[in-house]
Amino acid sequence: MTLTDPTFRLEDVPMAADRTAGWRAFIDHGDVFQATDGTWFLTSTEAVQFGHRHPEIFSSAGAFAALSSPVPLIPIGIDRPDHIRYRRVLDPMLAPRVVNGMEDGLREQVRELVARFAGTGRCDAVADLARLYPTQVFLTLFGLPLEDRDRFIHWSETIIEGTAARSTAEPGPEVIEAGAELFGYLQGHIETKRSQPSDDMLGRVLALAGDESWTDDEVLGLCFMLTLAGLDTVTASIGFILMHLARNPDVRRALVADPALVGPAIEELLRLELPAPMTPRLTTEDVEVCGQLIPAGSTVMICLATANRDGDVFDHPDDIDLGQSDRGHFTFGGGIHRCLGSHLARRELRLVVEEFHRLIPDYEIEAGFEPTVVWPSGTLHLTSLPLVFPSARGIQS
Amino acid sequence: MKVVIDTKRCSGHGRCYMHAPELFVDDEAGFGQVIGDGEFGEEQLEAANRAVRGCPERAISIENE
Repeated sequence: MTLTDPTFRLEDVPMAADRTAGWRAFIDHGDVFQATDGTWFLTSTEAVQFGHRHPEIFSSAGAFAALSSPVPLIPIGIDRPDHIRYRRVLDPMLAPRVVNGMEDGLREQVRELVARFAGTGRCDAVADLARLYPTQVFLTLFGLPLEDRDRFIHWSETIIEGTAARSTAEPGPEVIEAGAELFGYLQGHIETKRSQPSDDMLGRVLALAGDESWTDDEVLGLCFMLTLAGLDTVTASIGFILMHLARNPDVRRALVADPALVGPAIEELLRLELPAPMTPRLTTEDVEVCGQLIPAGSTVMICLATANRDGDVFDHPDDIDLGQSDRGHFTFGGGIHRCLGSHLARRELRLVVEEFHRLIPDYEIEAGFEPTVVWPSGTLHLTSLPLVFPSARGIQS
Repeated sequence: MKVVIDTKRCSGHGRCYMHAPELFVDDEAGFGQVIGDGEFGEEQLEAANRAVRGCPERAISIENE
């Protein structure tokens, strides 16, 4: 195997305004390649599958150690065998049948949020809805007070913004302060719930007894991890989905006319617009993938976004096709680290679209506004999405 | 035909029981399980193919006797 001569620079990729152009640039560079900063990328379905199926070679613990988290990042930053133990407990807590039991309450929450701006003729779908709702859902799931929503958002956004930029720099003082406040807040609730059992996810983790019981550090690590993984991602997806529905009135009208198409449309938009388009791993040994030798100790990005657009697997892979919404995609990752919250996330997105369309069936992006994402970044989201629409009448907020 | 889930590959995406509820159910952790012994008539072939196509892990296969 000859040495590669990396020429691929992330900052050259035209991602900000158009992910189709951005991910095409990755795909065109090859199934497996190295960028100028030394990072390897697995882009094809075959390469991504290989990474997912060999977690012992593509280590998550190694990759997430770079974040220097003060608590264990459960479960994403844990390798086997401990990972199995954690997921065995956590998967049932976020299974579809649990989400079913939460649906009515979660629908009511998004209905209230939409009603606040439905009568005004305009909203910023990111600021007024997408940033708020996932945090409310998280607080509900964990049995924490909804009044804490805004400071919770401040902490999580400060931490994510301070760590999403791909850099080895130490976190700034504002990140450290937000982290300390978040930890202090969670620690207080952990202590309260240890003494007063509650019927919510945090309460159920704390109720584990004997060999199954978790230390405070483990519980804190889980809360911290789900804060980082479960809020910003759903926020981003809500923004992307409403952006595409605003831009594609034919698709939107089809959904309004037949709400059974909401789920299929969400699957296609999830496939094309990924909030967390790449997941990092660290190789534990030399490994050959699609003919390329990746040395031990390499940082590897499993590129889910490009596998979702693999022309060898999908017809017209860059188009929204409601007739092919059953094509399996990797937006929630794959293998042992498949997104723990995928069932809840899908439900949140469906409830948002259903309730938004119930009051606001017709909307468009404010004239002159061009939605963009910050790039390069490990996570993608719109920072704003101003929408205008005919005011809904008779709305009570 | 017989429908089979490779449990080593299945990671709980939950697409099979979404796309083909006549062939699969969810277990308490959200992982798909084949209904009964997995033996179905040919009239279920289209549903089985939906599940095969929808599984990101390529964990589902159809075996013909």
